[in-house]
Amino acid sequence: MNGHPQLEARGVTVRFGGLTAVDQVDAAFAAGELVGIIGPNGAGKTTFFNALSGVQQPTSGDLFAHGRCLTGAQPHKFAAQGIARTFQTPRVFGGLSVAANIDFGLQFAGLHRKSSWLLKDEDSILHLIGLSDLARLPAAAITPSQQRLLEIGMALATRPQLLLLDEVAAGLTEAEIDSMAQLIRRLRDELDLTVIWIEHAVTTLLRYVERVIVLHQGRKIADGTPAEVVRNAEVIEAYLGDEMMAEPV
Amino acid sequence: MSTLPATRWERLVYRVRYFLLDREHLGRDILVLFALAGWALALPHYGSEFVVSMALTCLMYIALSTSWALFCGTTRYLSLATAAFFGIGAYTGALFLEDWGWLAVIVAGAGVAALVALVMGSLVLHLRGTYFAVLTFGMTELIRHAVSYWEKQVTGTVGRVLVVVPERDTVYLTMLALAVAAVAVSIVVRRTRFGLGLMGIGADEQRAQTLGVNTRVAKTGGFALTAAFAGAVGAAMSVRWTYIDPATVFNPFIGFQTVLIALIGGAATLWGPLIAAIVFSLLAESLRLQAPQLYLMTLGLLLILSVLFLPGGLASLRWDTLRQWRDDVTDWWRERRDPKKRSKKKAAAT
Repeated sequence: MNGHPQLEARGVTVRFGGLTAVDQVDAAFAAGELVGIIGPNGAGKTTFFNALSGVQQPTSGDLFAHGRCLTGAQPHKFAAQGIARTFQTPRVFGGLSVAANIDFGLQFAGLHRKSSWLLKDEDSILHLIGLSDLARLPAAAITPSQQRLLEIGMALATRPQLLLLDEVAAGLTEAEIDSMAQLIRRLRDELDLTVIWIEHAVTTLLRYVERVIVLHQGRKIADGTPAEVVRNAEVIEAYLGDEMMAEPV
Repeated sequence: MSTLPATRWERLVYRVRYFLLDREHLGRDILVLFALAGWALALPHYGSEFVVSMALTCLMYIALSTSWALFCGTTRYLSLATAAFFGIGAYTGALFLEDWGWLAVIVAGAGVAALVALVMGSLVLHLRGTYFAVLTFGMTELIRHAVSYWEKQVTGTVGRVLVVVPERDTVYLTMLALAVAAVAVSIVVRRTRFGLGLMGIGADEQRAQTLGVNTRVAKTGGFALTAAFAGAVGAAMSVRWTYIDPATVFNPFIGFQTVLIALIGGAATLWGPLIAAIVFSLLAESLRLQAPQLYLMTLGLLLILSVLFLPGGLASLRWDTLRQWRDDVTDWWRERRDPKKRSKKKAAAT
């Protein structure tokens, strides 16, 4: 847009008491990138996401969206800047219908933002995520994997430029993961979205993303294409180990 | 990328659509409100002094608990500060009654209470659950003692006698207007973006934030709105009592009773607080004189029963609920008499 990356983290650190969950992480995300974040359990992936979406204020470090400083802002400011996220366990409004869940985002962060035709209204978003048939059902009544799709739909309703996906494929079957990945690619290609995707299942993720960031004990230990990252000695030692040896990409 | 600007027009269409989303219920709600208001309007013409006084209490609790539920029911922030706003309204009214017009006095009561709520809200609304409830209660006590201190030290009085008071019917009509306004505002707010935001805060505050709700503004605004109603009710009620002192108008019981009525009626519903307010005012007036302890015991018992068996409040009561209870009781009775019989029935059901 104006030469600045869409979202940039500079030296972001999050401490909980004596535990440093995220340690001096620098990362920049350019428009239209599809980036994966991997790391073992407790590597600080979700905490880093929480910092990127304003849910968790970093202990130190700064965040910029299009070069504008967002450090210390409330989450709704991040949403207003076009940063949307999903949560690891779907946090849909169970009492509202599926359509009303989508409408929520359109009523708030989505209201003042320019939109693609694909995100024009409830119906078009429901169509995009493939939940049109369930529009009238209460969100609590649909299956967990459908709730994951609805989470993405709610995030899309804020008409974002950047989408943070936290383990959207966890617990899905092989076929469901595949269609989820297709959807994510489609969102990136057709909506020009930047997508940052955390996944615990490394092999799945590496198949779809163009760039990977590896976190280990809160620190960024690698940042590059999947092919580069799997050859990185530190990454292999820290995390991939046997799993990658057994099933090389 | 084909883009569609979110124009002013598009936003307006969205808002109107949202407002009319529940058109059927909108019509019903407005009709019920008109019917009740009309009935209450006619009451002073044929009711005895006792009936009118009872209706006044009833309207007071309708206004208090409906406006309380408007914010606290939807966001699930349990505020115990109603007594503070009520008392502030009453004192503001008492101070300005001699110099200002009646309407200005009510507005001043609402305004001062709302201002205090803005300050209090910005201090405590980031807390949740018990902490929020306890702190609002603590602040109520703080305000009560501060006013007592000011009375004794600064003005050298214990309370205030209100000399120039409006007629009974004026007070009654004002209270009716406040009750109608509280219900009307609830009807409107539930169908606006503001109400949707409050609901989102109640369901999952963080999720609502990430979807773009400025929760701090929504919460403080909602809290102030509730306080404005309590303040206006306090200002109107003080003239009815003609003598006020901090112990009367900051009586925590006013706050507790408001909360209990809203909870028993169903804090998340529109009509629940109103239904419960009517039931309780009738109970209160009929029991309080003969057996005051019995009244409080009934209140407590009803709260326990409603929490255990009717968590949605009186407004969630349907024929099916009654039928379910009846079946549960018959099952329980059968089991007591013959445990085998029930297990057979249960096996068939599953």
